[in-house]
Parts: sequence; C-alpha cells; structure tokens
Amino acid sequence: MAVRTIRVYPDPILKQISEPVDEINESIVGVIQDLVDTMIDAGHSVGVAAPQIGVLKRVVVVDVSKSKLGRDNNHGLLEMVNPKIIEMSGSKMMREGCMSVPDYTGNVTRAEHIVVEFTNRIGQLRVIEASGFEAVAIQHELDHLDGLLFLDRVSSLKTDLYRRKSK
Amino acid sequence: MNHFALTIVGRDRPGIVSQVTEILFNQGCNLADSSCSILGGQFAMILILDHPEITDLEGFGDTFKPLEDADLTVALRVLKPGGEVRSHIEGDLCMISVYGSDKPGIVYRVANVLGEKKVNITDLNTKLVGTEDRPVYVMVIEAALPEGVEEEDVDGWLSPIRDELQVDISIRTIPTVEL
Repeated sequence: MAVRTIRVYPDPILKQISEPVDEINESIVGVIQDLVDTMIDAGHSVGVAAPQIGVLKRVVVVDVSKSKLGRDNNHGLLEMVNPKIIEMSGSKMMREGCMSVPDYTGNVTRAEHIVVEFTNRIGQLRVIEASGFEAVAIQHELDHLDGLLFLDRVSSLKTDLYRRKSK
Repeated sequence: MNHFALTIVGRDRPGIVSQVTEILFNQGCNLADSSCSILGGQFAMILILDHPEITDLEGFGDTFKPLEDADLTVALRVLKPGGEVRSHIEGDLCMISVYGSDKPGIVYRVANVLGEKKVNITDLNTKLVGTEDRPVYVMVIEAALPEGVEEEDVDGWLSPIRDELQVDISIRTIPTVEL
C-alpha cells in the first residue's frame, strides 16, 4: 500500500485524541497496512500509531521481534485496533525516543507487564500478555492515541532529556 | 552570536524565577538550556542564554543589579563560540546509586574511578538525608558508558569502594529505544 510521512511535533494532530474504530472496513485495513509499511520503511522501527501518519483512529502496529531488546520476548507483528490496557504491573525505565519528536530522548518509567485487549485486522478480539520491551513499546504507541508524547511522561528535563545519539 | 552562562544563587523564596526571567525577557535575551533547583536552603539557577545585539559582558551594563539588590549572587560569563552546542552523548546510559552513612570522600572516590575509566558523568545529584545523629548520604549519577563497557564492569570497578567506605552501590543501565 503506502509508506506515509511521519508527522512531527508541533504538528497539532499529535496532541489530539483518536476516535474508536466502529467497523474494520477497507479503509481501516488500508490504515493498518500503511502503518506496517511506514514502520518497516523507517529502518524497521518497533511501532507506529495512526496519528503519527495523520489518521485520528485508534489503530497502532507494534513489532519488536526485529530489535535486539525484543527479539526473545514478543508476539511478532501486532496490528491493534481499539487497543486497551486492562492490567498492568511492575515498572521499567527506558530512555525513549520517538520518530515524532526527533533528536531527543527521555527517561520514562512504564509498567513492565501488561495485559492488552484489541481487535485484530480480521475483526477478532484478542487478549495478550506482554512484558519487557514489547510492553513498553505498546504503552508508548497507545499513548499516541490519547495525544500523549513521551514528553508528557518524563519527570525532569534536567536529567531526562538528551539529544538522541546519532543513528 | 555570543552565548552567555548566567548563574544565580540565593536564599530560596517564591518569586526568584519570575524576577530573573522578567529581567531577561525585558532585556531581549533568549533563554536556551537551563537548570534550576533547590540546594540546601538556596535556589540555584544556571542558564545558557544569548542576545541578538549584546556580544560582551559590558553590554549588559547594570541589567542584573536589581537581582543583587534582592540578595541574589549573580555571575555571568561569555561562552567560547560553539560552547552552547550540546555534544552528542554516545554509549549506553546507566544510573549509579551510592548511599551510606555520611563520611568524607564518597563523591570523590566514585567520580575518580569513573573519570579514570573514561565514563562520562552526564548528571549528578547528592543529598544529605536521614536524621541529625545518623546522617545518610545519597548520590545518584547518570553516566554514559564508553564503547564496550558493561554494567558489570562498572560494578567491578566500584566494588572496592563498597567495603572501604561502607556504602551501598547499585548500577542499572537504561536502554535507549526508538519507538
């Protein structure tokens, strides 16, 4: 389908709340495919949320299986429609960067284990348990659906924000 | 364009940031990076700023006199060209917590080992906590590890200090992830 341009802050769309998806139709499947294509095109990043490509719908894709940190603990490619975290526990700090906030990273503490329910591309309700990097990635992408960036989660700019190391 | 480093220290009270930034704003200064915090009973501000026309200290004249009149200590210095640019910090980051009953040399001994091993300290905070008769010293360091250095290496290097100074030291890396 298509690789889409990643929206970059201060694009106002990144601060808006996305609408739930009523029905998985052709257009939503198109959004899912564009998210996957865009994720893979971005040097196989580990996730993209619909608002990042300018679509205010509750759809994200996550795939940490190609990354060093997620290789041994993942569910492969997750295409999530109307995702919702129903349980979380533990905490884990990572220094997060985001394609929509270039050149900066910040320390963010998130739940280490989550249970998340979502509808997949073919309309089935799924519930999975994720932990570690995959759990962090899912939480990061879900935040985009509520107009939240990792900048909303860092506790202190002084210690938490550094220019990201060059790729 | 020259950049300046401005430091301001004074007894903490509400209104310091307001007074300082009002002066900077009226003067036409641009505030870039800054870090301000309470240390002891003092409020300490470190600011990197520039001004479209002012290029030297004299150019500020008595701009900051109202701050001195309000019992704040003000120091201003000109940065060498490029000194305002944040350098890229390479390598994995780790947090090092060091704490124990207060005694001389905790900061120095730890920093000395890290410096010798080319570990770049990117942030360091210390606090004296506990009670008056049992003071506890706490230090939290964030540091960038050189290529090839692992958490375990740092742990090994700092280990002798644990016994010698009777302090607890823990190290954890913070993976940097692009999401």
